[in-house]
Amino acid sequence: MLTLAIDTATKVCSVALCDNEKIIGEYSIDAGMTHSDGLLPQIMQMLERSKVNKDELELLAVSTGPGSFTGLRIGVATMEALAYSLEIPLIGVSTLQALAYNLSLTGFRLIPLLDAQKGNFYAAAYEWEDNILNKKANVAVWSADEVINYAKSSASKVLLLGECLKLSEKIAVNNIGIVPENLRLPKASSVALLGVHNFLKGDRETAFLTNLEYIRRSEAEELWEKRCQKS
Amino acid sequence: MNKPETKSKDVYILGIESSCDETAAAVLKNGQVVLANIISSQVPIHRKFGGVVPEIASRKHIENIMPVIDEAIKQAKITKKDLDAVAVTYGPGLVGALLVGLSAAKALAFALDKPLIGVNHLEGHVFANFLVDPTLKPPFLALVVSGGHTALLIVKDYATFELLGQTRDDAAGEAFDKIARVMGLQYPGGPEIEALAEHGNPAAMDFPRAMLSNGYDFSFSGLKSAVINYLHNEKQAGREINKADVAASFQEAAIDVLVKKSVHALVQTGLKKIVLAGGVSANLVLQKELAAAAQKVGAELVHPEPLLCTDNAVMIACRGYYQFLEQDFAKWDLNAVPNLKLG
Repeated sequence: MLTLAIDTATKVCSVALCDNEKIIGEYSIDAGMTHSDGLLPQIMQMLERSKVNKDELELLAVSTGPGSFTGLRIGVATMEALAYSLEIPLIGVSTLQALAYNLSLTGFRLIPLLDAQKGNFYAAAYEWEDNILNKKANVAVWSADEVINYAKSSASKVLLLGECLKLSEKIAVNNIGIVPENLRLPKASSVALLGVHNFLKGDRETAFLTNLEYIRRSEAEELWEKRCQKS
Repeated sequence: MNKPETKSKDVYILGIESSCDETAAAVLKNGQVVLANIISSQVPIHRKFGGVVPEIASRKHIENIMPVIDEAIKQAKITKKDLDAVAVTYGPGLVGALLVGLSAAKALAFALDKPLIGVNHLEGHVFANFLVDPTLKPPFLALVVSGGHTALLIVKDYATFELLGQTRDDAAGEAFDKIARVMGLQYPGGPEIEALAEHGNPAAMDFPRAMLSNGYDFSFSGLKSAVINYLHNEKQAGREINKADVAASFQEAAIDVLVKKSVHALVQTGLKKIVLAGGVSANLVLQKELAAAAQKVGAELVHPEPLLCTDNAVMIACRGYYQFLEQDFAKWDLNAVPNLKLG
């Protein structure tokens, strides 16, 4: 199943092309450029180098958050329009789950983290058991201390992934593990593999909307609610 | 340059617009026949905040963009493959909002093997007038008045615009919105002020008119402050405010400047047609006074019908059609330009 996948939830712009479990191509850039100008050219270059015509694609997969609101929307708008034009299915996968998919290693509690601003993180916890990635903690916004406390209290050995370097000092002090740099950040190949897995399992998107996992509301809405509670 | 010959084959342009608080898509045939005009407005959602909240706008855009595009294509009774190009607003506007429509447009054009056309939203507003008046041909004068812009420009041909002047501070529509807010009227304030002004006396208060020594630039911040100060002072003095009179007097002062500058430009340039563009062009008093003043100097006013005054994708498709004829296509790395200029 020829699958094109992307991840634009962080500052990494990652695109990948897979045929079921075989990764044909993967192209990730983390050079501080915007996704809006780079994403489509990156997809086109990868397809061209792979000698795959866009009309041969059978499935699209996109990471739907949490992550940078604008980055997610660029990715989702692009993939929804591709799915609509090419008339092929689009599947959305959790950015955090896809991060945990970077490392299929049994016996570890994997905690992917993404920057949620103001010293907080979007976090979840997963563990590989009998070749299945099981969720051990639901996606939520955690403070730095909550991340560290959860990691310290875990029965299994912990590995952090994602944008966890902001916690470097606390990680070192508490002797918490971080996955190697080449597996730490989002990879579109993981989005592709997870997407194919979920698709074959029977997950289907209805019509267009791949629900974005913002987790957080906009600041204006939070302020407005506070104001209403006061008055 | 003259309008290029229309090819014998029909040209279908898909227009996409998401620069502010409307998600819109339209299909236009041969730059003239509107086959579909779909607008999903977010105005009621932003009303409680008293203005457009960018993050909320972007979230609504991503929910609506594909359903709106799909509806436009279905309503036009064409297939995606019949399209000749995809035209999309890439500025000016809210960057997060622009990126939704732009990302979708790029992917559509790429996947359908069609050219991508990047459209300046303000040029789109001006080009809405080609749909109203099929006899309209450059050169002509254009007065762009919206919540974000106030500008006078000459449309020299289908691709060349000369900016004569613009606002140095607030846009005219911004003054309408801010004064409406102080008066406790709901967002958007322009139509509210216009409705209130109908029952007021436009000569009740003498609010300042910034003519800026007869050039073509505008300034509305002085007028806005004068009106807001008046409202505060009357309130502090415990006097009852005749809101209708305030609305009418403010509106008259704003329109007076817009009309005088436009007429001055008509006389100086010798142009015989002036078009209105942008959200404020829906204001009937502005339409009436500008038409009358233009007529006095032997010129004619063209203004869009109400549906085409506010943000829509038909105007983007129309601007896109003329860019299509010029083969003015965008590259795949086209990015949003939030402060894109005119001319």
